[in-house]
Amino acid sequence: MILSASGLVKTFPGVRALDGASLSLAAGSVHALLGENGAGKSTLVKILTGVYRPDGGTIELDGKPVHFTGPLDALRAGIGVVHQERNLVTEFSVAENIVLHHLPRRFGVVRRSRVRDEARRCLDLLDLDLDPDAPVSTLSVAQAQLVEIAKALSVDNRVLLLDEPTASLTGDEADRLYAIVRKLTGSGHAVVLVSHKLEEVFAVADTVTVLRDGRSVAEGQPLSAYTRDEVVDLMVGRAHAAVSLAARTPLSSDAAALSLTDVATSYGHADVSFDVAPGEIYGLYGLVGAGRTELAKALLGLGSVTAGTVSVHGTPVRISGVGEALRRHRIGYVTENRKEEGLFLEQPITRNIGVTVWHRLTRLGLIRDRAEASLVDDYRQRLGIRLATPKQLAGQLSGGNQQKVSLAKWLAADCGILIVDEPTVGIDVRTKAAFHELIAGLAGQGMAILLISSDLPEIVTLADRIGVMAGFRLRGELPNDGDYERMSQSIIRLIHTPLIPAAPH
Amino acid sequence: MTAVAFSPRVFRTSEFTLGVVAFAGFVGLTIATSGNMLSAGTLAAFFRFLAVPMVIGLAQMVVLAIGQMNLSVGVLTGFCAMASAWLMIEAGLPAWLAVLAALALGALVGLVNGLLVVFTRINAFIVTLATMTIIEGLRYGVHGPDTFQDYSPGLVRLGRASILGLPVVFVVAVVVAIGVGLFFARTVAGRHLLASGGSPFAARLSGVSNDRSILLAHALSGLLAGVAAVLTVALSGSVNASIGDDLLLPSFAAPIIGGVALAGGVVSVTGTCLAAFLVRLVDVARAQFGIGQQWVDLIVGAVVLGVVLIGAVRGKLASRPSRPATSAGSSRRTS
Repeated sequence: MILSASGLVKTFPGVRALDGASLSLAAGSVHALLGENGAGKSTLVKILTGVYRPDGGTIELDGKPVHFTGPLDALRAGIGVVHQERNLVTEFSVAENIVLHHLPRRFGVVRRSRVRDEARRCLDLLDLDLDPDAPVSTLSVAQAQLVEIAKALSVDNRVLLLDEPTASLTGDEADRLYAIVRKLTGSGHAVVLVSHKLEEVFAVADTVTVLRDGRSVAEGQPLSAYTRDEVVDLMVGRAHAAVSLAARTPLSSDAAALSLTDVATSYGHADVSFDVAPGEIYGLYGLVGAGRTELAKALLGLGSVTAGTVSVHGTPVRISGVGEALRRHRIGYVTENRKEEGLFLEQPITRNIGVTVWHRLTRLGLIRDRAEASLVDDYRQRLGIRLATPKQLAGQLSGGNQQKVSLAKWLAADCGILIVDEPTVGIDVRTKAAFHELIAGLAGQGMAILLISSDLPEIVTLADRIGVMAGFRLRGELPNDGDYERMSQSIIRLIHTPLIPAAPH
Repeated sequence: MTAVAFSPRVFRTSEFTLGVVAFAGFVGLTIATSGNMLSAGTLAAFFRFLAVPMVIGLAQMVVLAIGQMNLSVGVLTGFCAMASAWLMIEAGLPAWLAVLAALALGALVGLVNGLLVVFTRINAFIVTLATMTIIEGLRYGVHGPDTFQDYSPGLVRLGRASILGLPVVFVVAVVVAIGVGLFFARTVAGRHLLASGGSPFAARLSGVSNDRSILLAHALSGLLAGVAAVLTVALSGSVNASIGDDLLLPSFAAPIIGGVALAGGVVSVTGTCLAAFLVRLVDVARAQFGIGQQWVDLIVGAVVLGVVLIGAVRGKLASRPSRPATSAGSSRRTS
């Protein structure tokens, strides 16, 4: 074993992210690290690469215990990583980024020609035809991704961790990436692959570790020992019969709450048409980069609608910002990025929920603290938010509770139309189910819900109708019959159907 | 300014620590001067000259609240002071009108700072560095290097008067501080300011206008500089164009020692005022023992550094989830 970790524990306030996770890695193999969102994969990757220090457990490299003091330390020990987030300096050139950690110097001065040679060597390793002098800001997302990998290979690594490497790549690009991975293992590297895409995992990985709730439930087994369903069962921890929610009957849709006709936006959307009725959940499915969040932001006036019509309750509207959307049209938006866009992490829960309604809680120009407190108490009970005190900082809550707070502020504002963007990303399975019931319940009370999700089971469980978006266009719309197998097949087929020119209405 | 239940949590707040240090410092100084601190004259002078540092600290604090800085607070105070003295002496305006004019002038210049930041999108540090230089020139433009004196005897008398044993100027500063505290704790605009400072992205997606927050913060900062100017005019009985030169460092020292986050989103009126009190103690000690000004600067500078360090250590001990460091130019994906 090149690298083995056992009994790793890592606790954040309110969350035990890892609770005895183990993983071991043999030279010349691709090892898949699987688990649901929130199972602890990213935390494990970050511990193995020195970003976090574990609270307990051991890591051994070539049989010797190691304690990384930081990412650079892990890199020098021979562990390279490509994180899910981009980590390139966009103003620097491709070459400078690749050798950033060990710029070749003479007398303290960077040697430009050596930088270029080094970078070229790494690029050649990946059969990449990129100009080493081009600034990274001029590259496409996929190219930048490959530069990250070249960077990880620039040190003489024996272990390479790839965290969701193909999330932003097309099929062809992904194939090329995996060809490179194969080449690397052929030359004795060990690769850890974290991916949501089970087809890819089964095509490329040799062994597998499955994490669930921070523990390893399968460790180092040959992947061929499992079927896909068995792997999914291990990840979910129960026979994954589709969650059946109490049947809802959508209110009769005499007038759509929100309707889009041939909408184009400044982000590049074209010909987007659909409507959401009161009491209906309209699912907008698509992969990362399909343009779903951008569509929501355009509707809220953060981008602009350049053509077509957006109507709220039958009246065409032009919305110039979230404030107007909220106060005039009662539209709320629960962001997918709760830590950066949904919450004020350094502020108490009370303020995080009250922010949308303060103007309604004033007397003589002063906000009544008691009214705010009772509001918070109300939503704490209704949504089951687990908190120590209402004055607790939002940043100290667990992911699921943070998401509830992020939702509560829109419920407090009495929204009639709610756009919910990836509501259960990074949330454990149990809370996820509770969230689904919550969203269904809101629709049951007559709220019109636009559910943006790239989680197929989620969208099939919740949505009444499903719009499929790819490349900033709506590829089609399907009524949901609740049959997971059939629905997911139709959806995937729609995504991969080439665009045909829209028929005139 | 919210009432806090007397629980152990209170002991852990930085305001509590500061309060203890301030009290201990005061007692220590009293003992060291054999009780001289407590004589009516010394005590009154102590609080009288605490008023301007308090208000100027708050003037900086309201801009720090949105994660920005205002380098022009000091010279703006001087400019407003000169302008109001000019209005009384040269234009013959009654004192109350000159006071209002100084306040309005401060707010207006602050608003211009805000407008420049909003419309040019240039960093407030740079904008106020530029306006600081401009205002410095304007300040000298009012009366050259000469001194204005013998303006409104009434105002000067008020500057030296006391209510219930406390100097009027100090009472004014306390009232202003309570007002600023209420503004942040209980008004929609104040909380929007903190929201914009805490996370402009989350604020925008919650329907808060960040631009309005920026304008308001800078205008309020200017208004408070105007208040500091009026206090200065009333206190000293004569003003010249050098007023405000020594206010920039104290304007930062008070809020930073007081626990205000440079990144924005967190303010502490109590902390800022207590820190101004501490700095004032150091100043009095200097006067009492004939310590050189260079030592005072050294001490204040060291305290600022120390407080920032302690804050960083506290942050680590609080064991929040450590955020992975991302390089400066990293970009984020959205779906």
